[in-house]
Amino acid sequence: MATANTVNGRIERARTELAPTQMAAGALFIAALGFTLLFVQDPLVHDSLHNFRHAAGIACH
Amino acid sequence: MFAEYLTRGVKAGLVAGLVFGLFMAVVANPLVAYADELNHAAVEESGHGHEAESAHSHDSEGAHSHETDGAHSHDSGDSHAGEGGGHHDTAVSMAVTKAVSVAAGGLWGVVLGGAFFGVAFFFLEPAIPGPDATRSYLMGLAGFVTVSGAPWLVLPPAAPGAEQSLSVATRLPLYAGMMLAGALACLSAGYAYARLRESSGLVAAVVGAVVPFGLLAAVAVVAPENAVHGALSPTLETGLAGLFAFGQLLLWLVLAAAHAQFRSAGESESATPIAGRDSAPAAD
Repeated sequence: MATANTVNGRIERARTELAPTQMAAGALFIAALGFTLLFVQDPLVHDSLHNFRHAAGIACH
Repeated sequence: MFAEYLTRGVKAGLVAGLVFGLFMAVVANPLVAYADELNHAAVEESGHGHEAESAHSHDSEGAHSHETDGAHSHDSGDSHAGEGGGHHDTAVSMAVTKAVSVAAGGLWGVVLGGAFFGVAFFFLEPAIPGPDATRSYLMGLAGFVTVSGAPWLVLPPAAPGAEQSLSVATRLPLYAGMMLAGALACLSAGYAYARLRESSGLVAAVVGAVVPFGLLAAVAVVAPENAVHGALSPTLETGLAGLFAFGQLLLWLVLAAAHAQFRSAGESESATPIAGRDSAPAAD
């Protein structure tokens, strides 16, 4: 509990707690997820999410 | 500690995902299917049914191309409605759409829980004002504003089959941009509140926290307008949009409530007398 309870403290904490490889893996995972969500506009995926997209208020037809 | 936060966020996400998946299965799926049927019937009635059949093809995201030929607005209306309505011209059957949509509803909760209540909450917790449970709810509010509220100021939920004047190529960056603007508004509201609370008291802090949201609304006013019109009755369209907005609000509310619950449970479990934790009068 040495680090101060501030946003900077939390960033510092994450830096000490997480190994660089863990951070890299996390960042890569998030990037992959974002990429998938953005660019998987394949009709199969896009159409099967039709009802969900409407329910989530993200309509794009 | 980070892993603890992430786990708690994902757990809250699971709870919210269950609720939202159920909402998808019981409410949204049947309603969207029904709205699609109505659209399809309206299209058939207006005598363009055949064009819709022939206009099928795979560009379900064909809004791009349809948008360009303004002169053929009728055709585009047909193929749009046909896309959602007939379901013989989509890439998948209605049963698959329904199943995938329910699963996506569950995963949506998990993703939002992990991202907002896991990762973002870990870093931002010290900057969020209020006692413990309030922080979870403020995070939920900020999440809703970021993911849905802010973009909806420009692109509100549309009823199935509705035609929109802006192309998909315009709307995607617009939606993303409004999400960013929403996140910035929430962050600066938190920052302004903390700063003013110290220097000028509660009233000034609350006023300061409201200002960024005013700016957000101003951004929404100057953003390009997206005219929407569909074959459904305006009352039904309003009702559907309202229901879907309500569904997202419900999702964030469940996320926040579950998160607050898991936090207080986790704290009483570990029951470590942490200095500065002046909240719960340490349950015996």
